[in-house]
Amino acid sequence: MSYTLQFGQVTGYLPYLAGGAWISLQIAFLAFCGGMVIGLFGAMAKTFGNRPLNRVVSGYVTFFMNTPQLVQIYFIYFALPDAGILLTSYEAVLIGMTLNAGAYLTEIQRAGFESVHRNEMEAAETLGMSLMQRVRYVVLPHIARVLFPPLSNQYILMTLGTSMAAIFGVEELTGRAFNVNAETFRSIEVFSLTAGLYIIVTLIATLILGLFGRYMFRAKMRLY
Amino acid sequence: MPQLEILDLKAAYNRQPVLENITLSVEKGEIVSLIGPSGSGKSTLLRVLIGLLPPIAGQVHLDGERIDYGDKRTLRALRDRLAIVFQQYNLFQNMTALQNVTIAPTKVKKRPAREVEEEAKTLLSKVGLADKFDAYPDELSGGQQQRVAIARALALKPEILLLDEVTSALDPELVNEVLDAIRLLAAEGMTMFIVSHEMGFVRELSSKVAFMADGHIVEFGPPARIFDRPEMARTRDFVSKILRH
Ligand SMILES: Nc1ncnc2c1ncn2[C@@H]1O[C@H](COP(=O)(O)OP(=O)(O)OP(=O)(O)O)[C@@H](O)[C@H]1O
Ligand SMILES: [Mg+2]
Repeated sequence: MSYTLQFGQVTGYLPYLAGGAWISLQIAFLAFCGGMVIGLFGAMAKTFGNRPLNRVVSGYVTFFMNTPQLVQIYFIYFALPDAGILLTSYEAVLIGMTLNAGAYLTEIQRAGFESVHRNEMEAAETLGMSLMQRVRYVVLPHIARVLFPPLSNQYILMTLGTSMAAIFGVEELTGRAFNVNAETFRSIEVFSLTAGLYIIVTLIATLILGLFGRYMFRAKMRLY
Repeated sequence: MPQLEILDLKAAYNRQPVLENITLSVEKGEIVSLIGPSGSGKSTLLRVLIGLLPPIAGQVHLDGERIDYGDKRTLRALRDRLAIVFQQYNLFQNMTALQNVTIAPTKVKKRPAREVEEEAKTLLSKVGLADKFDAYPDELSGGQQQRVAIARALALKPEILLLDEVTSALDPELVNEVLDAIRLLAAEGMTMFIVSHEMGFVRELSSKVAFMADGHIVEFGPPARIFDRPEMARTRDFVSKILRH
Protein backbone atom coordinates (compact mmCIF):
# COMPACT_ATOMS: atom_id res chain seq x y z
CA MET A 1 0.00 0.00 0.00
CA SER A 2 1.38 3.34 -0.84
CA TYR A 3 -0.14 6.45 0.59
CA THR A 4 1.58 9.77 0.22
CA LEU A 5 0.92 12.12 3.06
CA GLN A 6 -0.27 15.43 1.73
CA PHE A 7 -0.74 17.78 4.65
CA GLY A 8 -0.74 20.70 2.26
CA GLN A 9 -4.34 19.95 1.36
CA VAL A 10 -5.59 20.13 4.92
CA THR A 11 -3.46 22.77 6.61
CA GLY A 12 -5.73 25.42 5.16
CA TYR A 13 -8.46 24.00 7.36
CA LEU A 14 -6.43 24.53 10.51
CA PRO A 15 -8.23 27.70 11.65
CA TYR A 16 -11.58 25.98 11.00
CA LEU A 17 -10.49 22.99 13.10
CA ALA A 18 -9.10 25.22 15.82
CA GLY A 19 -12.49 26.92 15.97
CA GLY A 20 -13.97 23.46 16.52
CA ALA A 21 -11.51 22.84 19.32
CA TRP A 22 -12.71 26.03 20.94
CA ILE A 23 -16.29 24.73 20.85
CA SER A 24 -15.12 21.43 22.36
CA LEU A 25 -13.54 23.39 25.19
CA GLN A 26 -16.72 25.33 25.73
CA ILE A 27 -18.86 22.22 25.97
CA ALA A 28 -16.42 20.56 28.35
CA PHE A 29 -16.18 23.67 30.50
CA LEU A 30 -19.91 24.27 30.76
CA ALA A 31 -20.72 20.61 31.40
CA PHE A 32 -17.97 20.42 34.00
CA CYS A 33 -19.19 23.50 35.85
CA GLY A 34 -22.78 22.28 35.78
CA GLY A 35 -21.63 18.85 36.86
CA MET A 36 -19.63 20.32 39.74
CA VAL A 37 -22.69 22.09 41.06
CA ILE A 38 -24.86 18.99 40.76
CA GLY A 39 -22.04 16.96 42.26
CA LEU A 40 -21.68 19.30 45.22
CA PHE A 41 -25.35 19.08 46.12
CA GLY A 42 -25.37 15.35 45.38
CA ALA A 43 -22.40 14.81 47.66
CA MET A 44 -23.94 16.94 50.40
CA ALA A 45 -27.20 15.01 50.10
CA LYS A 46 -25.39 11.69 50.29
CA THR A 47 -23.27 12.75 53.25
CA PHE A 48 -25.70 14.73 55.35
CA GLY A 49 -29.10 14.01 53.80
CA ASN A 50 -31.87 11.78 55.06
CA ARG A 51 -32.72 8.38 53.69
CA PRO A 52 -35.20 9.28 50.90
CA LEU A 53 -32.91 12.01 49.58
CA ASN A 54 -30.03 9.59 49.69
CA ARG A 55 -32.03 7.09 47.63
CA VAL A 56 -32.92 9.62 44.97
CA VAL A 57 -29.33 10.75 44.57
CA SER A 58 -28.05 7.17 44.55
CA GLY A 59 -30.58 6.29 41.85
CA TYR A 60 -29.41 9.18 39.72
CA VAL A 61 -25.76 8.32 40.19
CA THR A 62 -26.29 4.63 39.52
CA PHE A 63 -28.24 5.31 36.34
CA PHE A 64 -25.71 7.72 34.85
CA MET A 65 -22.65 5.76 35.88
CA ASN A 66 -23.95 2.48 34.53
CA THR A 67 -25.28 3.43 31.12
CA PRO A 68 -23.23 4.61 28.14
CA GLN A 69 -23.07 8.35 27.80
CA LEU A 70 -23.99 8.07 24.14
CA VAL A 71 -27.22 6.32 25.06
CA GLN A 72 -27.96 8.99 27.67
CA ILE A 73 -27.57 11.76 25.12
CA TYR A 74 -29.66 9.88 22.55
CA PHE A 75 -32.32 9.54 25.16
CA ILE A 76 -32.31 13.25 25.91
CA TYR A 77 -32.13 14.20 22.24
CA PHE A 78 -34.97 11.96 21.10
CA ALA A 79 -37.12 11.46 24.19
CA LEU A 80 -37.41 15.00 25.51
CA PRO A 81 -38.96 16.42 22.32
CA ASP A 82 -41.78 13.93 22.84
CA ALA A 83 -42.34 15.57 26.19
CA GLY A 84 -42.62 18.90 24.42
CA ILE A 85 -39.07 20.05 25.13
CA LEU A 86 -37.31 20.87 21.90
CA LEU A 87 -33.57 20.86 22.03
CA THR A 88 -30.86 21.66 19.55
CA SER A 89 -28.23 18.96 19.27
CA TYR A 90 -25.79 21.27 21.07
CA GLU A 91 -28.19 21.67 23.99
CA ALA A 92 -28.91 17.96 24.15
CA VAL A 93 -25.22 17.12 24.22
CA LEU A 94 -24.57 19.77 26.83
CA ILE A 95 -27.41 18.60 29.08
CA GLY A 96 -26.42 14.97 28.66
CA MET A 97 -22.79 15.61 29.44
CA THR A 98 -23.70 17.79 32.40
CA LEU A 99 -25.95 15.16 33.93
CA ASN A 100 -23.37 12.48 33.29
CA ALA A 101 -20.62 14.60 34.82
CA GLY A 102 -22.90 15.37 37.77
CA ALA A 103 -23.07 11.67 38.61
CA TYR A 104 -19.32 11.13 38.47
CA LEU A 105 -18.60 14.36 40.29
CA THR A 106 -21.09 13.45 43.01
CA GLU A 107 -19.09 10.33 43.69
CA ILE A 108 -15.73 12.09 43.53
CA GLN A 109 -16.86 14.88 45.84
CA ARG A 110 -18.55 12.49 48.23
CA ALA A 111 -15.23 10.72 48.64
CA GLY A 112 -13.79 14.15 49.40
CA PHE A 113 -16.47 14.84 52.01
CA GLU A 114 -15.70 11.56 53.66
CA SER A 115 -11.98 12.18 53.64
CA VAL A 116 -12.38 15.38 55.62
CA HIS A 117 -11.10 14.50 59.00
CA ARG A 118 -13.96 14.11 61.41
CA ASN A 119 -11.63 15.95 63.74
CA GLU A 120 -11.66 19.09 61.66
CA MET A 121 -15.43 19.01 61.37
CA GLU A 122 -15.78 18.60 65.11
CA ALA A 123 -13.35 21.43 65.73
CA ALA A 124 -15.40 23.63 63.41
CA GLU A 125 -18.56 22.64 65.22
CA THR A 126 -17.16 23.46 68.63
CA LEU A 127 -16.05 26.83 67.30
CA GLY A 128 -19.70 27.51 66.62
CA MET A 129 -19.76 27.16 62.83
CA SER A 130 -23.07 26.27 61.20
CA LEU A 131 -23.29 23.36 58.78
CA MET A 132 -23.10 25.71 55.80
CA GLN A 133 -20.05 27.42 57.27
CA ARG A 134 -18.40 24.09 57.90
CA VAL A 135 -18.98 23.08 54.29
CA ARG A 136 -17.82 26.44 53.01
CA TYR A 137 -14.68 26.87 55.11
CA VAL A 138 -13.60 23.34 55.95
CA VAL A 139 -15.03 20.82 53.50
CA LEU A 140 -14.74 22.72 50.23
CA PRO A 141 -11.14 23.90 50.65
CA HIS A 142 -10.21 20.38 51.71
CA ILE A 143 -11.98 18.92 48.72
CA ALA A 144 -10.39 21.46 46.44
CA ARG A 145 -7.01 20.43 47.73
CA VAL A 146 -7.25 16.66 47.77
CA LEU A 147 -9.67 16.38 44.89
CA PHE A 148 -8.01 18.82 42.58
CA PRO A 149 -5.96 16.15 40.79
CA PRO A 150 -8.88 13.70 40.23
CA LEU A 151 -11.14 16.59 39.28
CA SER A 152 -8.64 17.82 36.69
CA ASN A 153 -8.45 14.31 35.30
CA GLN A 154 -12.21 14.22 35.04
CA TYR A 155 -12.09 17.55 33.25
CA ILE A 156 -9.56 16.26 30.71
CA LEU A 157 -11.63 13.12 30.14
CA MET A 158 -14.67 15.29 29.54
CA THR A 159 -12.79 17.43 27.05
CA LEU A 160 -12.03 14.31 25.05
CA GLY A 161 -15.57 13.04 25.60
CA THR A 162 -16.97 16.04 23.77
CA SER A 163 -16.05 14.30 20.50
CA MET A 164 -19.26 12.37 20.98
CA ALA A 165 -21.11 15.53 20.04
CA ALA A 166 -20.05 14.96 16.45
CA ILE A 167 -22.51 12.08 16.21
CA PHE A 168 -25.30 14.56 16.83
CA GLY A 169 -23.98 16.95 14.24
CA VAL A 170 -22.46 19.46 16.62
CA GLU A 171 -19.56 21.14 14.87
CA GLU A 172 -16.93 20.84 17.51
CA LEU A 173 -13.47 19.57 16.73
CA THR A 174 -14.38 16.03 15.74
CA GLY A 175 -17.48 17.18 13.90
CA ARG A 176 -15.43 19.62 11.88
CA ALA A 177 -12.83 16.94 11.24
CA PHE A 178 -15.60 14.83 9.70
CA ASN A 179 -16.50 17.76 7.46
CA VAL A 180 -12.95 18.37 6.32
CA ASN A 181 -12.50 14.68 5.70
CA ALA A 182 -15.62 14.59 3.54
CA GLU A 183 -14.27 17.42 1.45
CA THR A 184 -10.66 16.38 1.10
CA PHE A 185 -10.69 12.58 1.57
CA ARG A 186 -7.29 12.98 3.28
CA SER A 187 -8.38 10.94 6.31
CA ILE A 188 -4.98 10.25 7.82
CA GLU A 189 -3.87 13.86 7.54
CA VAL A 190 -7.17 15.22 8.86
CA PHE A 191 -7.36 12.92 11.83
CA SER A 192 -3.71 13.18 12.80
CA LEU A 193 -4.08 16.94 12.71
CA THR A 194 -7.22 16.59 14.82
CA ALA A 195 -5.48 14.31 17.29
CA GLY A 196 -2.67 16.84 17.50
CA LEU A 197 -5.15 19.57 18.33
CA TYR A 198 -6.73 17.45 21.05
CA ILE A 199 -3.30 16.82 22.54
CA ILE A 200 -2.47 20.52 22.49
CA VAL A 201 -5.79 21.42 24.04
CA THR A 202 -5.50 18.87 26.85
CA LEU A 203 -1.84 19.65 27.53
CA ILE A 204 -2.64 23.32 27.87
CA ALA A 205 -5.59 22.50 30.11
CA THR A 206 -3.45 20.19 32.25
CA LEU A 207 -0.78 22.82 32.61
CA ILE A 208 -3.20 25.59 33.50
CA LEU A 209 -5.08 23.37 35.95
CA GLY A 210 -1.84 22.20 37.52
CA LEU A 211 -0.50 25.70 38.04
CA PHE A 212 -3.87 26.88 39.31
CA GLY A 213 -4.12 23.96 41.75
CA ARG A 214 -0.63 24.49 43.05
CA TYR A 215 -1.13 28.17 43.51
CA MET A 216 -4.69 28.18 44.84
CA PHE A 217 -4.94 25.00 46.84
CA ARG A 218 -1.40 23.92 47.48
CA ALA A 219 -2.40 20.75 45.65
CA LYS A 220 0.56 18.54 44.91
CA MET A 221 0.19 18.13 41.19
CA ARG A 222 2.35 16.85 38.43
CA LEU A 223 3.12 19.38 35.76
CA TYR A 224 4.30 18.11 32.41
CA MET B 1 -22.76 29.72 92.93
CA PRO B 2 -20.45 27.43 90.93
CA GLN B 3 -19.69 28.56 87.39
CA LEU B 4 -20.23 25.08 86.02
CA GLU B 5 -22.14 22.38 87.79
CA ILE B 6 -22.58 18.83 86.56
CA LEU B 7 -25.31 16.77 88.18
CA ASP B 8 -25.66 13.02 87.86
CA LEU B 9 -24.64 13.11 84.21
CA LYS B 10 -24.90 10.02 82.07
CA ALA B 11 -23.68 9.50 78.51
CA ALA B 12 -23.45 6.57 76.12
CA TYR B 13 -22.05 5.58 72.75
CA ASN B 14 -24.54 3.41 70.88
CA ARG B 15 -26.48 2.60 74.04
CA GLN B 16 -23.24 1.50 75.72
CA PRO B 17 -22.92 3.68 78.82
CA VAL B 18 -19.53 5.37 79.10
CA LEU B 19 -20.29 7.95 81.78
CA GLU B 20 -22.46 7.43 84.84
CA ASN B 21 -23.29 9.46 87.94
CA ILE B 22 -20.93 12.23 87.02
CA THR B 23 -21.34 15.01 89.56
CA LEU B 24 -18.89 17.83 90.06
CA SER B 25 -18.73 21.57 90.19
CA VAL B 26 -16.21 24.26 89.32
CA GLU B 27 -15.94 27.78 90.61
CA LYS B 28 -14.82 30.58 88.37
CA GLY B 29 -11.05 30.58 87.92
CA GLU B 30 -10.61 27.05 89.19
CA ILE B 31 -8.71 24.38 87.36
CA VAL B 32 -10.17 20.91 87.48
CA SER B 33 -7.94 18.08 86.34
CA LEU B 34 -9.37 14.81 85.13
CA ILE B 35 -7.09 11.85 85.64
CA GLY B 36 -7.65 8.15 85.30
CA PRO B 37 -6.78 5.11 83.22
CA SER B 38 -7.28 4.96 79.49
CA GLY B 39 -10.92 4.44 78.52
CA SER B 40 -12.23 5.80 81.81
CA GLY B 41 -14.29 8.47 80.04
CA LYS B 42 -12.22 11.63 80.46
CA SER B 43 -12.42 12.70 76.82
CA THR B 44 -16.06 11.71 76.70
CA LEU B 45 -16.85 14.03 79.59
CA LEU B 46 -15.27 16.96 77.73
CA ARG B 47 -17.14 16.01 74.55
CA VAL B 48 -20.41 15.99 76.45
CA LEU B 49 -19.70 19.38 78.03
CA ILE B 50 -19.02 21.04 74.67
CA GLY B 51 -22.05 19.42 73.08
CA LEU B 52 -20.47 16.91 70.72
CA LEU B 53 -22.19 14.02 72.49
CA PRO B 54 -25.62 14.75 73.97
CA PRO B 55 -26.00 13.34 77.49
CA ILE B 56 -28.77 10.80 78.02
CA ALA B 57 -29.48 11.86 81.58
CA GLY B 58 -28.43 14.39 84.17
CA GLN B 59 -27.89 18.11 84.02
CA VAL B 60 -25.22 20.67 83.37
CA HIS B 61 -25.67 24.18 84.73
CA LEU B 62 -23.68 27.14 83.53
CA ASP B 63 -23.92 30.08 85.94
CA GLY B 64 -26.96 28.43 87.41
CA GLU B 65 -28.73 28.02 84.09
CA ARG B 66 -29.46 24.57 82.80
CA ILE B 67 -28.00 23.76 79.38
CA ASP B 68 -30.36 22.11 76.92
CA TYR B 69 -28.01 20.10 74.72
CA GLY B 70 -30.80 19.30 72.27
CA ASP B 71 -31.36 22.92 71.36
CA LYS B 72 -29.29 24.45 68.57
CA ARG B 73 -29.50 28.00 69.83
CA THR B 74 -28.46 27.00 73.33
CA LEU B 75 -25.56 25.06 71.86
CA ARG B 76 -24.40 28.10 69.95
CA ALA B 77 -24.57 30.21 73.08
CA LEU B 78 -22.72 27.49 74.97
CA ARG B 79 -19.91 27.40 72.44
CA ASP B 80 -19.58 31.13 72.88
CA ARG B 81 -18.52 30.49 76.43
CA LEU B 82 -16.76 27.14 76.28
CA ALA B 83 -13.88 26.17 74.06
CA ILE B 84 -12.04 22.90 73.65
CA VAL B 85 -8.52 22.01 72.60
CA PHE B 86 -8.34 18.50 71.26
CA GLN B 87 -5.59 16.02 71.82
CA GLN B 88 -4.88 15.79 68.10
CA TYR B 89 -4.88 19.59 67.54
CA ASN B 90 -7.56 19.28 64.81
CA LEU B 91 -6.31 22.37 63.04
CA PHE B 92 -7.79 23.28 59.68
CA GLN B 93 -5.16 22.00 57.30
CA ASN B 94 -6.08 24.39 54.54
CA MET B 95 -5.51 27.49 56.66
CA THR B 96 -2.40 29.18 57.97
CA ALA B 97 -1.83 29.44 61.69
CA LEU B 98 -3.24 32.95 61.63
CA GLN B 99 -6.31 31.95 59.61
CA ASN B 100 -6.97 29.06 61.98
CA VAL B 101 -7.19 31.57 64.78
CA THR B 102 -9.19 34.26 62.97
CA ILE B 103 -11.78 32.12 61.20
CA ALA B 104 -14.24 31.71 64.08
CA PRO B 105 -14.17 35.30 65.38
CA THR B 106 -14.67 36.71 61.86
CA LYS B 107 -17.11 34.19 60.43
CA VAL B 108 -19.02 33.05 63.48
CA LYS B 109 -18.93 36.21 65.57
CA LYS B 110 -18.81 38.49 62.50
CA ARG B 111 -16.25 40.75 64.08
CA PRO B 112 -14.16 43.13 61.96
CA ALA B 113 -11.26 41.34 60.28
CA ARG B 114 -8.59 43.93 61.16
CA GLU B 115 -9.30 43.90 64.85
CA VAL B 116 -9.54 40.09 64.97
CA GLU B 117 -6.26 39.77 63.15
CA GLU B 118 -4.47 42.05 65.59
CA GLU B 119 -5.81 40.03 68.49
CA ALA B 120 -4.89 36.76 66.81
CA LYS B 121 -1.33 37.94 66.29
CA THR B 122 -1.11 38.92 69.93
CA LEU B 123 -2.43 35.51 70.97
CA LEU B 124 -0.04 33.62 68.71
CA SER B 125 2.85 35.71 69.96
CA LYS B 126 1.82 34.99 73.52
CA VAL B 127 2.17 31.26 72.88
CA GLY B 128 5.54 31.82 71.24
CA LEU B 129 4.56 31.68 67.59
CA ALA B 130 5.22 35.25 66.51
CA ASP B 131 7.22 34.03 63.53
CA LYS B 132 4.71 31.41 62.37
CA PHE B 133 1.64 33.42 61.39
CA ASP B 134 1.73 32.30 57.78
CA ALA B 135 2.79 28.70 58.30
CA TYR B 136 0.38 25.91 57.44
CA PRO B 137 -0.21 23.15 60.00
CA ASP B 138 1.84 20.66 58.01
CA GLU B 139 4.77 23.03 58.24
CA LEU B 140 4.60 23.17 62.05
CA SER B 141 5.86 20.80 64.72
CA GLY B 142 3.40 19.04 67.01
CA GLY B 143 4.02 21.45 69.87
CA GLN B 144 3.60 24.43 67.58
CA GLN B 145 0.34 23.04 66.19
CA GLN B 146 -0.91 22.40 69.68
CA ARG B 147 -0.21 26.01 70.61
CA VAL B 148 -2.03 27.24 67.51
CA ALA B 149 -4.97 25.14 68.66
CA ILE B 150 -4.83 26.81 72.06
CA ALA B 151 -4.71 30.26 70.46
CA ARG B 152 -7.64 29.31 68.23
CA ALA B 153 -9.70 28.32 71.25
CA LEU B 154 -8.76 31.51 73.11
CA ALA B 155 -9.64 33.75 70.17
CA LEU B 156 -13.30 33.26 71.02
CA LYS B 157 -12.64 34.56 74.51
CA PRO B 158 -14.14 31.59 76.28
CA GLU B 159 -14.94 31.65 79.96
CA ILE B 160 -14.11 27.99 80.33
CA LEU B 161 -11.40 26.12 78.47
CA LEU B 162 -11.39 22.35 78.02
CA LEU B 163 -7.97 20.82 77.37
CA ASP B 164 -7.79 17.18 76.35
CA GLU B 165 -4.34 15.68 76.88
CA VAL B 166 -2.78 18.57 75.10
CA THR B 167 0.71 17.28 75.74
CA SER B 168 0.39 13.55 75.22
CA ALA B 169 1.15 13.60 71.51
CA LEU B 170 4.25 15.71 72.00
CA ASP B 171 7.91 14.93 72.35
CA PRO B 172 9.10 15.52 75.91
CA GLU B 173 11.06 18.61 74.94
CA LEU B 174 7.94 20.16 73.44
CA VAL B 175 5.75 19.47 76.45
CA ASN B 176 7.08 22.41 78.40
CA GLU B 177 6.26 24.89 75.65
CA VAL B 178 2.61 23.92 75.89
CA LEU B 179 2.54 23.66 79.67
CA ASP B 180 4.00 27.16 79.89
CA ALA B 181 1.18 28.45 77.73
CA ILE B 182 -1.34 26.85 80.08
CA ARG B 183 0.38 28.24 83.17
CA LEU B 184 0.02 31.67 81.65
CA LEU B 185 -3.71 31.16 81.25
CA ALA B 186 -4.02 29.86 84.79
CA ALA B 187 -2.32 32.98 86.04
CA GLU B 188 -4.93 35.04 84.22
CA GLY B 189 -7.74 33.26 86.03
CA MET B 190 -9.23 31.20 83.22
CA THR B 191 -11.48 28.37 84.35
CA MET B 192 -10.15 25.13 82.92
CA PHE B 193 -10.83 21.43 82.67
CA ILE B 194 -7.59 19.64 82.01
CA VAL B 195 -7.19 16.00 81.09
CA SER B 196 -3.58 15.18 81.69
CA HIS B 197 -1.08 12.49 82.45
CA GLU B 198 1.51 15.02 83.59
CA MET B 199 1.04 14.43 87.30
CA GLY B 200 3.54 17.02 88.40
CA PHE B 201 1.73 19.60 86.35
CA VAL B 202 -1.69 18.47 87.57
CA ARG B 203 -0.54 18.74 91.13
CA GLU B 204 1.02 22.14 90.66
CA LEU B 205 -1.89 23.82 88.90
CA SER B 206 -5.14 22.09 89.85
CA SER B 207 -7.64 23.46 92.27
CA LYS B 208 -9.37 20.09 92.26
CA VAL B 209 -8.66 16.69 90.80
CA ALA B 210 -11.23 14.14 89.67
CA PHE B 211 -10.02 10.58 89.47
CA MET B 212 -12.14 8.69 86.96
CA ALA B 213 -12.45 4.98 86.29
CA ASP B 214 -14.97 2.99 84.24
CA GLY B 215 -17.07 6.04 83.49
CA HIS B 216 -17.41 7.07 87.13
CA ILE B 217 -15.78 9.72 89.25
CA VAL B 218 -14.17 7.62 91.92
CA GLU B 219 -12.80 10.49 93.94
CA PHE B 220 -12.93 14.25 93.69
CA GLY B 221 -10.98 16.71 95.79
CA PRO B 222 -7.99 18.99 96.13
CA PRO B 223 -4.76 17.60 94.65
CA ALA B 224 -3.08 17.22 98.03
CA ARG B 225 -5.82 14.87 99.13
CA ILE B 226 -6.05 12.86 95.90
CA PHE B 227 -2.31 12.38 95.67
CA ASP B 228 -1.28 12.14 99.33
CA ARG B 229 -4.32 10.86 101.21
CA PRO B 230 -6.66 9.17 98.74
CA GLU B 231 -9.70 7.62 100.40
CA MET B 232 -10.50 5.01 97.79
CA ALA B 233 -8.37 1.98 97.11
CA ARG B 234 -8.62 2.46 93.33
CA THR B 235 -7.32 5.99 93.57
CA ARG B 236 -4.47 4.89 95.77
CA ASP B 237 -3.62 2.17 93.25
CA PHE B 238 -3.64 4.49 90.29
CA VAL B 239 -1.76 7.27 92.00
CA SER B 240 0.94 5.04 93.38
CA LYS B 241 1.42 3.40 90.00
CA ILE B 242 1.58 6.63 88.08
CA LEU B 243 3.79 8.45 90.58
CA ARG B 244 6.28 5.64 90.57
CA HIS B 245 7.06 6.36 86.92
N1 LIG C 1 -16.72 7.28 69.15
C1 LIG C 1 -16.86 6.28 70.04
N2 LIG C 1 -17.74 5.28 69.79
C2 LIG C 1 -17.91 4.28 70.67
N3 LIG C 1 -17.27 4.18 71.84
C3 LIG C 1 -16.38 5.13 72.16
C4 LIG C 1 -16.14 6.24 71.27
N4 LIG C 1 -15.22 7.04 71.85
C5 LIG C 1 -14.90 6.46 73.03
N5 LIG C 1 -15.60 5.32 73.23
C6 LIG C 1 -15.53 4.46 74.41
O1 LIG C 1 -15.88 5.22 75.54
C7 LIG C 1 -15.06 4.89 76.64
C8 LIG C 1 -14.43 6.14 77.21
O2 LIG C 1 -13.56 6.68 76.22
P1 LIG C 1 -12.78 8.02 76.42
O3 LIG C 1 -12.18 8.37 75.11
O4 LIG C 1 -13.66 9.02 77.04
O5 LIG C 1 -11.66 7.58 77.45
P2 LIG C 1 -10.45 8.41 78.01
O6 LIG C 1 -10.56 8.39 79.48
O7 LIG C 1 -10.37 9.74 77.34
O8 LIG C 1 -9.23 7.50 77.57
P3 LIG C 1 -7.76 7.93 77.08
O9 LIG C 1 -6.96 8.24 78.29
O10 LIG C 1 -7.27 6.70 76.39
O11 LIG C 1 -7.92 9.09 76.14
C9 LIG C 1 -14.07 3.87 76.14
O12 LIG C 1 -14.50 2.61 76.57
C10 LIG C 1 -14.13 3.98 74.67
O13 LIG C 1 -13.92 2.73 74.08
MG1 LIG D 1 -9.06 10.61 75.94
